[in-house]
Amino acid sequence: MITIKDLGFSYGDMPVLKNITMNLEEGRIYGLLGGNGVGKTTLLTLLCGLKKPQLGSIDIDGYAPYDRKPTFLADQYYLSDEVAAMNMKAADYAVNYGKFWTGFDMGKFNEVMNVFEVDAQQKMNKMSFGQLKKTYIAFALACNTKYLFMDEPTNGLDIPSKAQFRKAITRYTHEDSVILISTHQVRDLENIIDPIIILDRQDVLLNASAAEVSEKLYFDYSSEKNPDALYCEMIPGGNIQVYPNQTGEDSKVNLEALFNTVHQHKELIKGIFNK
Amino acid sequence: MKNDIFNFRRFGKYFSTDFRTCCANYGLSLLTISLLSPVALYFITAAFNMMLGNGWDGPDMGLRVFVFVVAMICLVVTMPVKCYGRITEKQYGSFWLTLPASRLEKFASMILMTCIIVPVSGALLYLGLDAAICALDSTCGQNLVAGGMELLQKMGEAQDVTFNFIDENITIEDATLAQEIIRQINNPWMYLDEIFCVTLPFLLGAIFFKNGKTVKTILALFAISTATSIICSPILTKWALEIVNTANEDPMAILQMFNNKLFKNLVLIDTVTDTVTNLALMAGIWFRIKTLKH
Repeated sequence: MITIKDLGFSYGDMPVLKNITMNLEEGRIYGLLGGNGVGKTTLLTLLCGLKKPQLGSIDIDGYAPYDRKPTFLADQYYLSDEVAAMNMKAADYAVNYGKFWTGFDMGKFNEVMNVFEVDAQQKMNKMSFGQLKKTYIAFALACNTKYLFMDEPTNGLDIPSKAQFRKAITRYTHEDSVILISTHQVRDLENIIDPIIILDRQDVLLNASAAEVSEKLYFDYSSEKNPDALYCEMIPGGNIQVYPNQTGEDSKVNLEALFNTVHQHKELIKGIFNK
Repeated sequence: MKNDIFNFRRFGKYFSTDFRTCCANYGLSLLTISLLSPVALYFITAAFNMMLGNGWDGPDMGLRVFVFVVAMICLVVTMPVKCYGRITEKQYGSFWLTLPASRLEKFASMILMTCIIVPVSGALLYLGLDAAICALDSTCGQNLVAGGMELLQKMGEAQDVTFNFIDENITIEDATLAQEIIRQINNPWMYLDEIFCVTLPFLLGAIFFKNGKTVKTILALFAISTATSIICSPILTKWALEIVNTANEDPMAILQMFNNKLFKNLVLIDTVTDTVTNLALMAGIWFRIKTLKH
């Protein structure tokens, strides 16, 4: 389990994260949403040990990530939004580096590469950005780590690849893994992320499962406008409206609408979810 | 409990990975510098000799030693940037930092590759090819290894050296002083640790600076050398003047005092200064790895 307590981080005089406290539990695929510059990447890099917390603490199964102890590192993988084009074939890369992760499975790597339709015998520095990204995603999944942090994994992927990515994430990850995916392309991950964390400047606006969201907010797809709607947007064939769920009726959570609702009614939403 | 500081098995795994990555990133450059330089030197010299009407003649020993030294300097200057310079880039650096090996293992592998594996491989390739060229063409004379061994032997045989020093009238008949100086200069340790002194600054520069790594390292070395000279020159001058005054300006006494205070301890002084420099550079590399963030 990941325990984040009163976490604070600034770049010079500019605070990015302030008093962040939350727990990330096993067996979940967390979606980390937020606008540009709210600290999504900073939070991920703090979790995987690339940065040192300036305030507060992070505890991952008893380890402080910034200590970068090999035992801890072997149980986590961080996929950066920018990936390196190595001067070697993808398969050689997997053989060369995979051995550091005790659970690494070369068969799984090849399988995911096949799902992504990328040739593992191709040199990485000759690949397109999308192919390179897919190679790293395949490698990350093949590492079979308990903790998997992915920063904007769908950036640079074409439309079929985004579907392949969703398929790979649900099929090739363990049930007890903690997966944290940062994105601002919410539609790419709509059906796989649960719970949802929405970060705002220096704050966590929402950290709730899809079931909790559905319990507290109602997503109305009808064409009739509701004057009590917190958020309303025209979509082809009608509207999508979000309002507090008074009846307890179930509805399908629309991440984009949820994100916009939370951003427009920060305090109200925090109040609803902190009840 | 697992050892998170240093584990030989994990180090072996890391070192082999590091070796392969260096081969992929720098292998071609290593082969080009080590194998192309002696061949190019041989053919260019022979071509010039032909053009100047001297007939087919290979490069002489002096030129070959010079090109060998230049090639080795090129190796140690360019290798760290190509092999480790990328760790300051977010793309590769974040992966490298989260690779499951300890800081000490990554550090040790880096030092081993930069200070031993690459210079030794480069030198062996160069000297091997030089020996092959000399075996095929007798106009080259001795190969570099044989030439170097002969030079060392000559230095070792300098027991009976008698020379004039400062004044023609002063002759050190028993050559004790000369023997002492030669024995000190002839000590291989004087030169072995120099490899670290040359390679480590470029490794530190490669992982410290984000861009313009080699140029900035050279400029930093210039700045440090200038500062050291400014600080040390007055101290050394004062020390030398004290010796001259103490010896009442008697050249023989001055020489004897310099011998007692400096030449007799040349290896020790050199080793201590080099060791301190190398340790400081290694500490710099260690702290850079420790504090590197992305």
